[in-house]
Amino acid sequence: MTLPTRPAPDDRPGARLLLASVLVVATCGLVYELIAATMASYLLGDSVTQFSLVIGVYLSAMGLGSWLSKSIERDLYDRFILVQLIIAVVGGLAAGALFLGYAYLSTIRPLLFSILIIVGTMVGLEIPLLMRILKDGQDLKDLVARVLAFDYIGSLLASLLFPLALLPHLGLVRTSLLFGLLNALVALLCARTFRAQLTRPRVAMSQSIAIAVLLAALFAFGARIERFAENQLYDAPVVFSNKTAYQRLTLTRWADDVRLYIDGNLQFSSTDEHRYHESLVHPAMSEVPVTRALVLGGGDGLAARELLKYPKLEHIDLVDLDPGMTDLFRRDPMLVALNGGSLLDPRITVHNTDAMRWLEDHVRGDAPPFDLVLVDLPDPNNFSLGKLYSHPFYRLLGRALAPSGVGVIQSTSPYLAPRSYWCIVNTLAAADLHPRPYHAHVPSFGDWGFVLVSHQPRTPPTTLASVDLRFLNDDLLPTLFVFPTDQRPADVEINRLSDQLLVHYYEEDLRRGPIGRRS
Amino acid sequence: MPPAPKDSPTPPVPKDSPAVPVPKDSPTRPSHAADNLSRRALLGTTATAVAAACAPAPPPPTAAFVGQDPDVAHRLRDASFARTPISRDITTEIAIVGGGVAGLAAAWRLRRAGHASVHLIELEPELGGTARGGQLPRSAHPLGAHYLPSPHPGCHALELLLTDLGVLLSRDARGRAEYTPSAVVAAPTERHQLGLLWDEGLYPARDESPDESAQWTRWRDHLHALDARRGADGRRLFNLPVARSSAELRHLDRISLARYLDDLGLTSPRLRWAVDYACRDDYGCTAAQLSAFAGLHHFLARGLEDTRDGHTLTWPDGNFHLVRAMADRAALADALLLGTAVTAIDPDAGTLTLHTVATGETTRMHARHILWAAPRFVLPRVLPRGRDPLAPGALTYAPWLVASVELRARPRGVGAPLAWDNVPVQLDPARTTSLGYVLATHADDPRHPGAVITYYEPLPGDDAAALSAQRTRLLTGDLDHWTNHVRAALVAMHPGIDRDIAHIHVTRWGHAMIRPVPGLLFGEALTTARAPIGRVHPCAADTAGLPLFEEAFYSGVLAAESALTALGRPTPTIVET
Repeated sequence: MTLPTRPAPDDRPGARLLLASVLVVATCGLVYELIAATMASYLLGDSVTQFSLVIGVYLSAMGLGSWLSKSIERDLYDRFILVQLIIAVVGGLAAGALFLGYAYLSTIRPLLFSILIIVGTMVGLEIPLLMRILKDGQDLKDLVARVLAFDYIGSLLASLLFPLALLPHLGLVRTSLLFGLLNALVALLCARTFRAQLTRPRVAMSQSIAIAVLLAALFAFGARIERFAENQLYDAPVVFSNKTAYQRLTLTRWADDVRLYIDGNLQFSSTDEHRYHESLVHPAMSEVPVTRALVLGGGDGLAARELLKYPKLEHIDLVDLDPGMTDLFRRDPMLVALNGGSLLDPRITVHNTDAMRWLEDHVRGDAPPFDLVLVDLPDPNNFSLGKLYSHPFYRLLGRALAPSGVGVIQSTSPYLAPRSYWCIVNTLAAADLHPRPYHAHVPSFGDWGFVLVSHQPRTPPTTLASVDLRFLNDDLLPTLFVFPTDQRPADVEINRLSDQLLVHYYEEDLRRGPIGRRS
Repeated sequence: MPPAPKDSPTPPVPKDSPAVPVPKDSPTRPSHAADNLSRRALLGTTATAVAAACAPAPPPPTAAFVGQDPDVAHRLRDASFARTPISRDITTEIAIVGGGVAGLAAAWRLRRAGHASVHLIELEPELGGTARGGQLPRSAHPLGAHYLPSPHPGCHALELLLTDLGVLLSRDARGRAEYTPSAVVAAPTERHQLGLLWDEGLYPARDESPDESAQWTRWRDHLHALDARRGADGRRLFNLPVARSSAELRHLDRISLARYLDDLGLTSPRLRWAVDYACRDDYGCTAAQLSAFAGLHHFLARGLEDTRDGHTLTWPDGNFHLVRAMADRAALADALLLGTAVTAIDPDAGTLTLHTVATGETTRMHARHILWAAPRFVLPRVLPRGRDPLAPGALTYAPWLVASVELRARPRGVGAPLAWDNVPVQLDPARTTSLGYVLATHADDPRHPGAVITYYEPLPGDDAAALSAQRTRLLTGDLDHWTNHVRAALVAMHPGIDRDIAHIHVTRWGHAMIRPVPGLLFGEALTTARAPIGRVHPCAADTAGLPLFEEAFYSGVLAAESALTALGRPTPTIVET
C-alpha cells in the first residue's frame, strides 16, 4: 500500500465547507456563552460570580460533550447535522427564553444552567465529530492544526463582534436568534452537500429548513420581544434584584448613582430624587401646620425623610403594599443612608396592606383625620394601580383629610403623559378636592407632575418653611404652578372605578409619545 | 364548550327559542385587546407552555361537595326525622323560618323597629340561603348569589339597608350615592370568549355581519325607548320590587322573551346568545322559557346599564357579606337557631315543631306570627294536609351547579385581560355552555399570587319533568363526575388551567331560584303563594316571582312590617310606594 507522503489539503467538495463550519460553529458557541453570561449578570447581578459560573459550567459541559462523542459510532454526518440543529434551537431561543423566564418564573437559574449545559454539551460534541468526519482525508497533525486554528479564530471573532457590533445593534434576543439561524444554515448546507452520506437526507433537509424559517421569523418579530425585554434591562450594574410576592425590585449602581426599578420601571435615581421628593412634600408642608401625616405608597422612605425634617410632625402612617420594599429600605445600609433611616424613626408606623382597604378601614373607624395625605404611588399602568387614582378613592382620601388639611398626589408626567395627568386633575376636582396642578423638572424622569388638593379652594403657596432644601426655594416655588402654552389642560374624562379610563389614557399616552412629537 | 357528561344529555333548547344574550354594556375596546394579543399575552402563552413542559406535574386538586346537604332536605321532605319527645318550649312573638336574604331582612327590620321578640330558624348550619358563602385557603367565595347592582334612586329602603350596613357611605354634593370602593366592581368588569380570543364586554361583536350589527343597535334603541317611557299610571314600566311596575306592559308576562324577540324580528345569533346568557344568568331559564316581562325587567328595572350611572356591588364571599352584616345588625344571639328543621306548623295555633339536626332534639315554639322566609314549595310539607291552597307544582325552580375553584395562578387568556366576569360564548343555540366564572379575588392586587373563581352553570329545563330530570342528574352525579365536569368546562376556556387547580368545592342547588315563566308574575298562583295561611306569612323571594336580592329584601321587610301591624304595634313603613 502506498502512503501519500504529503497528503494534499483535503479537496473533497465537503471538506472546505466543513472547515468553514468549524469557524461558524466556534463563533456561535462563544456567542451563546457570552449571551448567557451577560444575561446572568444583568438579571441576577454580581457579574464576576455570574461570568465565572457561566464560563465554568459551559466549558465543563463542552468537556462532557467531547467525552460523549466516543459513544457515537455510526452515521456521523446525520449526528453532526442533528447537533447543529439542537444548538440552533436551544442557542437561538436562549436569550428570549431567559427574558421570558425572568418575567414569569420565580428563579431563572435552572433554565439558565439547562441552556448552558445543553448548548455546551452539543458544542463539545461538534469538534470531535467534525475531526472524525475529516480524518479520512488527511494527517492527524494537519487536521488538528487546522480545525483548532479555525476554532480559536472563531472565538476571537465572537469576542470582538459581541460587544462591538452585536450587543449594541441587535440586542441580546436578536443576536441569539441570528446565531441560531447561522447554526441552522450550516446544518442546511451540510445536509445538501452530504446528501449521499446521510441515511435520511430528506428528513435532515426539511428539519433544517423548518428550523431556519422559524428562527428567521422570530428574528423578524425580535423587535417586539426586545421592547418587552427592555423593561427587564438596566443601563448600570445590578447590585440587588429580588422578586417579592408583588413585584421585582432591582437596584443598580453606577458610581454614586443608585437607582431603584420596580418591574423594570425607574422609581428614582439618587442623583436627583431630592428634586422629586422635595417637590412632592414641601409645597404642601408650607401650607398648613402638620402634626399627623399619611403617606400612601412611598415604601422607599424618601418622602418620609423629607417629612421628618419638620419637628412639629408627630406621626406618619405609611401604607405600602409590599413588605419586601419597606424591609429593603429599612435594612440595606446604602438605602438607609439614602432615606436617612426614615422608616426606622419612632414617629413612623408602616402598614403593609392595600391602600384602598386601609383608607376604607380608617374612614370607618374613629381615628382622627390627617393634616396631610401624600400619595406617592407608581404610575397608573395597570388596573390595580388605576383604582388608586379613581374617583371613589379620592372621595375616601377627602374623608381622611382634616377640614383644613392638604393632600398631594404624584400624577405622572404632564409632558410625557398629558392626558393621564389632566385626567387625574379632573378626577380630583370631581371628587370635590380643589386641585392645584404643578410640576417640576426631575432630570432622570423629565417634567414631572403633582397635584395639591384641599377641601377649600386655595391660592398656590408662595413661601416655604425654613427647612434644609437643595432644590426648592421661594423664587422657584410659585413658578411650579405655571404651565407653558403647549401643556394646557387636556379635555379628558374622569377616572371612574367601573371603566378606569385613566389606564387607557396612560397606555395611549405612552404609545403616542410626548407632546412635542404629537401631530 | 365543556363536553356534556355522557349520561346527561345537553339540556334541550326549544326550537322556537334560540338562545340568547345580554349586553351588559358598551361595546368592546378592540385596540386594547389587539395590543394585548400582540405582546404580553402571546409571550405569556408561550412561556406558560414552556414552563408547563418542564415543570413537574402538580398534585391533583382536592375536591368536596359544600353547601346544602341534600340528605337533610330530603329527610324533611320524607318526614323521616326521628320523633323524640319535646324537650323544651320556646315562646316568641315572631318566628322567622329561613336564614336567607328575606329572613334576615325581616329580622333586620324588626330589630330596627325594636319592639318585638324574634326567633330565626335555619335548617342549615350556616346562614345565607342561596346567598351562602364559603372559604378556600386563598379567599372567601360565594356559593350562590354573588352581587347586587347599586339601587336606583327610587329604592329608599334598600339604600337605608346599605347605609346601615356601611356599604353606602354618603352622598356627594350632587346627591349621588357613594359606595365603599372595595365593594364596587372595578374595571375590567367583564369579558367574553368567542373561539380562542377574549374581548371586553358581553356582546360578541367580533366578526358580526352588518345585519347583526344593525339588529344589535335596534335592540339597544328599543331598550332605550322603553327606559325613557313611563306608564299611563306615571310609574316606571319595570320596577323593583316588581310589584311596583306600571300596569302598562304587564301583558308581556303572557309571552316568552324568545317570542317577543321574534316579534321584533331580532334573530341575530349573537344577539340571541347575549339575551339568553342574561336570562340564564339571572333566572336559570332560557329566553324561550322566560316571561318577556321578566326578561325586559332584567334589562330595565334598575335603569339601563350604560346610562344609569350605577355600580355593581360585590364582595369576595358574594352576597353572603350582606347576609352576615344583616345578621350582625339583627343581633339575634340565642334567638338564632341554626341546623334546625321546622317539621310541622300549626298555622292557627302558631306552633312550630322544631328538630335540631345535630342532636335529634325536638322543641316546640309558640309564635304569634310566623314569617315563612324559606322556599315556598317546602311549606305544604310542614302544614297540616290540605291547608296549603297553592296547587302543587305551581311554582317551578331552576337547579344550578356552582363550583368554587382555587387556582395557583390567575387565569390568563389571549385578548382582553382577566375580568370580574368571564363568559364563554356559544353561538350555536343547540348547544349550551356554562355561564363561565366570576373572580372572587377580583378586588385583590393581581400581583398577589393565585386566584379563586366561582363557576356557574344553571341546568335549564322546559317543564317539570325536564327540571326533575336535571335535578336527579345533579344529585346523583358523584363528586368525581362533577369535578371532572367543571374541570372540562374550565379547560375549554383555558387549555392549560387544569394544572393550576388546587381545590374544587362543588355546590349543588336542587332548587336555586324561582323561574319567572310566562304567566307567573301577575297570575293567581303567586297571589295565592303570598297569601297568609293562618298566622303564617310566606315571604321568600320566590313568592315575589323574581329570584333577586331586592325582591327577597322587600318581601322580608314588608312581611316584618305587616307582622308588627298585626301585633298591634304598627310602625311607619320604610318602603316607598
